[in-house]
Amino acid sequence: MYVTADMLLMSPEAQAAEQPQETAVEIVLVRAVLDGDRDGFARLYDLYAPLVHGILLARVPRVEVDDLVQDIFLHAFRKLHTLRDASSFGPWIAMIARNRAVDYHRRSKETVEISDEVRGSDTHDSKAKEILELIRSLPETYRETLILRLVEGMTGPEIAARTGLTAASVRVNLHRGMKLLRERLGFVEGV
Amino acid sequence: MKEDYLWDKTGEPDPEIQQLEEILGTLRYEPKPLELPQDLLTPRRRRNHFPLLAIAATVLLALLAAGLWLRVRTQSESQPQQASVTPAQSTIDEKSTVATNNDEERKQQKIEQVRKRGWARLRPLPRHSKHRSSSTTLAKQEREEALEAKQQVMLALRLTTEKLSLVHKKNQSPSNQIKNQHRVG
Repeated sequence: MYVTADMLLMSPEAQAAEQPQETAVEIVLVRAVLDGDRDGFARLYDLYAPLVHGILLARVPRVEVDDLVQDIFLHAFRKLHTLRDASSFGPWIAMIARNRAVDYHRRSKETVEISDEVRGSDTHDSKAKEILELIRSLPETYRETLILRLVEGMTGPEIAARTGLTAASVRVNLHRGMKLLRERLGFVEGV
Repeated sequence: MKEDYLWDKTGEPDPEIQQLEEILGTLRYEPKPLELPQDLLTPRRRRNHFPLLAIAATVLLALLAAGLWLRVRTQSESQPQQASVTPAQSTIDEKSTVATNNDEERKQQKIEQVRKRGWARLRPLPRHSKHRSSSTTLAKQEREEALEAKQQVMLALRLTTEKLSLVHKKNQSPSNQIKNQHRVG
């Protein structure tokens, strides 16, 4: 049912075949932005905003996520000239998002965080938030991958290509994370 | 098959995963336009000045070394000439006062012998033996000067190496440490 040995021991060619060829687009876009094309950055934003959104959703309160996404892309635009390898834009912006989430928690220690319950929300939304909280309670390794898959709707190969993780790692994180989530949700395996 | 659905959404759909996707889909990212301030300058490609600086430093080092070498060489050439003139004159004086006709005949004979052997370039033995004492003092001087020059060259090399490493560090530090460039705020 879960991860098998042959899944983990996939050849690099097979792994590469599963990953979408997005790096060429990234390289072209990053170079275009560095040559003065601001629209190129808008394309990068469209491509990577769901990834940044998912990473933040796994770490910070939902209400803060949208503003932080904008801040992160603004910061990335300013610092894009420091990116040496244009093909690693995805892992780079993912790292910025993770660092930003850490900074958020460091700064918000002194302030009182208003919970989603206090703000008020409808019942359909509250179920989603409950599950989100369950995912957030999982180990950090699994929660990001699960949110990218279940919330943002990305496939395993897409997650691997955009975060810079290997396909095997993403596969393991997905399966183990899903197993834990099923246990916590009370789902019975194999039914 | 169900595991394929979790991985890449192919194969037989897993109803539990589909249910989770449906519920959590409400939290999905909603596309919003990126608001880049108009006054924000477009980032420019960072120029890598390291090769140019390295070439400039190498040329500078080569020039410095050549200058030092020339200085040492000119000093060492001028001093032996001065030193070799005075002993030669003194030997001439000695010759004029001390040497006898017999001695001169012997010298002539020896020179002839040497020429016959094909060593015409060799100086007469007595003069050479007299130079030995002055040449040893010269060798000491030369050695001291050479040591001094060597120290200067080593110092110049050390300075240039320090400068090169400093430039290299400055060039490497911001983007090599990938964690730093990801820091926000």
